Amino acid sequence: MCILFRKLIIVLFFVCLNSVVIAAASDCRKKEILCVGLVTDVGTVDDKSFNQSAWEGVQQSAEEIGTVIKYLETRDPKDYMVNISLFAENDYDVVVTVGFGLGEATSQAAKQFSDVKFIGVDQFQANALSNVAGLIFHEDQAGFQAGALAAMLSKSGVIAAVLGTNLVPPVVAFKEGYVSGARYINAKIQVISTYHPGGLAVAFTDPEWGASTAKQAIDQGADVVFGAGGTTGNGGLIEAASHSEKYCIGVDTDQWLTLPAAHPCLVSSATKRIKEGVFQLIQHAKESQFPSGNFFGEVGLSPFHDFDNKIPQYIKEKLTEIHMGLRNGSIKTK
Amino acid sequence: MINPFHFLKKVWLTIDIPCAAVFLSAAIGAVLLNFSGANPLDAYGALFQGSFGGMSALGRTLEKATPLIFSGLAVAFAFKAGLFNIGTQGQLLFGALAAAVAGFGLAGMPGWLHAPLALLIGAFAGGIYSAVQGALKAYTGSHEVITGIMLNYVAINLTDYLTNGPLKDDTPGNIIARTPLVMETSWLHRIGSFPVGFGLALIASLVVWWFLERTTFGFEISTVGHNSHAASYAGMNVKLIIVWTMLLSGILAGFGGAVETLGVVHRYQPGFNIGLGFEGITIALLGKTHPVGVVLAALLVGAMKAGSSQMQFHAGVDKAIIDVILALILFFVAADVLIRKILRRRETKGEKVLFSTGWSK
Amino acid sequence: MFQKYINSRCGIVRGLSFLVLLVILWSYFYDSAITEAVLASALRQSTPLALGALCGLMGERSGVINIGIEGQMLLSAFVGFLVSVWTGNLLFAVLTGVATGAVIGLLLAFMSVSLRIDQILGGTVINILGFGLTGYFYQVGLNTKGKLQSISLGPLQDIPLLGPVLFNNPPITYLTLVLVLVVHYVLFHTHWGLRTRAVGEHPRAVDTLGINVFLMRYTNVVLGGAIAGLAGSFLTLEAVGSFERGMTNGRGFVALAVMIFGKWTPIGSWGAALLFGLAIALQTQLQFGGQTIPHQFIGMLPYLLTVVVLAGFVGRARPPAAVGTPYTKE
Repeated sequence: MCILFRKLIIVLFFVCLNSVVIAAASDCRKKEILCVGLVTDVGTVDDKSFNQSAWEGVQQSAEEIGTVIKYLETRDPKDYMVNISLFAENDYDVVVTVGFGLGEATSQAAKQFSDVKFIGVDQFQANALSNVAGLIFHEDQAGFQAGALAAMLSKSGVIAAVLGTNLVPPVVAFKEGYVSGARYINAKIQVISTYHPGGLAVAFTDPEWGASTAKQAIDQGADVVFGAGGTTGNGGLIEAASHSEKYCIGVDTDQWLTLPAAHPCLVSSATKRIKEGVFQLIQHAKESQFPSGNFFGEVGLSPFHDFDNKIPQYIKEKLTEIHMGLRNGSIKTK
Repeated sequence: MINPFHFLKKVWLTIDIPCAAVFLSAAIGAVLLNFSGANPLDAYGALFQGSFGGMSALGRTLEKATPLIFSGLAVAFAFKAGLFNIGTQGQLLFGALAAAVAGFGLAGMPGWLHAPLALLIGAFAGGIYSAVQGALKAYTGSHEVITGIMLNYVAINLTDYLTNGPLKDDTPGNIIARTPLVMETSWLHRIGSFPVGFGLALIASLVVWWFLERTTFGFEISTVGHNSHAASYAGMNVKLIIVWTMLLSGILAGFGGAVETLGVVHRYQPGFNIGLGFEGITIALLGKTHPVGVVLAALLVGAMKAGSSQMQFHAGVDKAIIDVILALILFFVAADVLIRKILRRRETKGEKVLFSTGWSK
Repeated sequence: MFQKYINSRCGIVRGLSFLVLLVILWSYFYDSAITEAVLASALRQSTPLALGALCGLMGERSGVINIGIEGQMLLSAFVGFLVSVWTGNLLFAVLTGVATGAVIGLLLAFMSVSLRIDQILGGTVINILGFGLTGYFYQVGLNTKGKLQSISLGPLQDIPLLGPVLFNNPPITYLTLVLVLVVHYVLFHTHWGLRTRAVGEHPRAVDTLGINVFLMRYTNVVLGGAIAGLAGSFLTLEAVGSFERGMTNGRGFVALAVMIFGKWTPIGSWGAALLFGLAIALQTQLQFGGQTIPHQFIGMLPYLLTVVVLAGFVGRARPPAAVGTPYTKE
């Protein structure tokens, strides 16, 4: 056994020698290099949801305008400040913080590190700071369009929504928009929706609950399912895909690209263009035209992809009309 | 007169296996890191830098360890009476919420009174929630593991509701489910980089040690833990002891939640205390349910948590590796037979500890 | 006297079940589609819980506590998912999922039977390892080619109420129902089961009769692990069709509660799992119905109900006597 232990140490030694040091920290201190760091909300950067979209925007900036990029995943919400500071102390120029949960930490950091620019995704700025841009979205408008589409597609007069938790304001906005959008089309439509019964820790990562809830809705006549709530919602979409003649609508990003398993039912997604918004703001930072205060990102329905020729023209026209109406304020979501 | 050599040898004999376990786990972790294309030396270097490199890093480590010490003590304390307090999480949540309410609700108090009072209120909230479990166990026979798991879910739902409803922060513009900030008079500050909460945790572990080893009631608790039938023949009121044990265990958990609220978060917000109670089980087991062991185990886990951001920043390593290493450490500490073979050391008599003899009887 | 007490409690449980049945029938005549939907959902939600509970009780009946069900389920779900991605063969994927569960069962047995380490500790190791390994090695962008589909059992499906709920399910759900009966039969009506229970109650006595305590415990824990593996496969290969980090979401722990609720018996555990599934499905239905009560209150209902039922009706549950204590030959 002892020999084995020694062997293990020797093997380890070589393992360490072999591993190449790639790190080679790019010098963020140089003025011409724009370094962009991203701090996720609790979760991972590949969550098929808002963290991922924001990170894709950062990646786009690396490809197109040559920024140096890095991300940090948050496991414990108490580390928000620590993670943001890590970037600021290492001379990063722009820090993207994802999720309304980081709002407080972001403004605190902005005061402390006044030469760093902050992009706060989903963070409404009540008191504008000169170096913070809050990238926010009218989720209710996206939900409204999804609801209108669902109501026009539904033959049974029952549509469903499988949601994350109501502790997260964007989810509530999506839901309320969805309901009023459906009612706008058909005042008598029945919208059945459920929030996940668990707390924040599980509400967005419970695909099996999402799936069985979607099935329960489908079994009682729902023929369109809107899934809004991370992988919980995704579970609902995938479930709808395994039933014939059902439609489903994704959320946040164009889920046609992120969730192939839902292709049989996925007509569209109620998107927040986080990726585009983050990229735009980084560009502004590069050009020293960084806006402060609230910066509204685009919302709307994603392309219909394979369903494009199955959606009748009148629905498309109505959706365009609603989109315009929401933009110019002639249609209200409440 | 203590022979220093003997003393050192004795210390070594207590810590050699945990140390070997840590190194062995780190070694296996290194292989995994290498396998996924990261440099283990860089990763561990950054981890160490982030947890012990400098005063602020050290402060973070202590801060992370603090709630773990409390929940670890809570679990370890209940183990002594043969009770498995899996409900620590719920008790901790109630402790944290109650302390927050006391923190923002009790206006116009001097600092020397406000903070201790808020701490006590938090501790008792946890204690009472736990005593319910104890009473259910003692008087209706419902198993504390089920009631614990169930009441954890109830606690999550109830605290979520309260912070999104009646207790919601009504600062204009706030859309987040959370309570208002607690008043500064109730804060637990830092002395330099040293968090006061950590000092309280150390005191708590001393008190628990003293209580279990030196008081009659502590003796009664471990008697119930060893053999409840014998305890009741000896004239002890087993049912009452169960309730008391759970109450005290819950007080420890609630205290941990309160310290977290008053010392770190400064308000109650859903999601900020996730896992702290559950990790108490890991800590208690890793520390072999001894108060000193609990403190050391909490420091180890706290250091890994505190350094994980640096590790990801400098070495690009997924933080999940920490869970893997932690599981391995726990395995090797538990499976000390394997390590003994490597260290060529025999088991000394009476050294083997069994913390839990099954579901309590 | 004591017997009478037990009987009266059984009466209460029976009465309660009867009441539940009456309510179901009443609501069926009121709105058949909703009733069927709720019951089907209840059955589906109960499946991983029932399987997890079977895993737990196989171990505990032979004297080994298994609190690592959560980790076992998660790891099996992960491996089953990976195999399904790589081979595209669902049957093979389910089998590897089951095998993974069995292998982890073997690890648990090795820790708790051979190394004689604390059994709760062993389970905790498995849980943390499950979260860590799956979290560390999971990569996004892996997609399966579908999931197990429902098989309707021909004419049986046309029976009102029961048909759509019971006889139009995917394979693992059927298999669960069969397994509950099989484990019940094996445990209470075979020599093997008698030995298993004896090992869990009084290993020393069994040993003197020449039965190999270690072997019995190993086999039971490994078989239990295989069942937990099936629960994991259910999640990724039948219910959802993809894997997510931490997707078991505490089902392994609830399964533990379900097992104790069911007093360490397969049929009892199944009933408890169904009750849980029903409670979850009902809380969804209440939200569907547009209840304005904060959903957290509805969400905590199943858990509160369990505590109340446990305190009032089911009462003292007695675990196998030797559970948790490692056995040493003298």
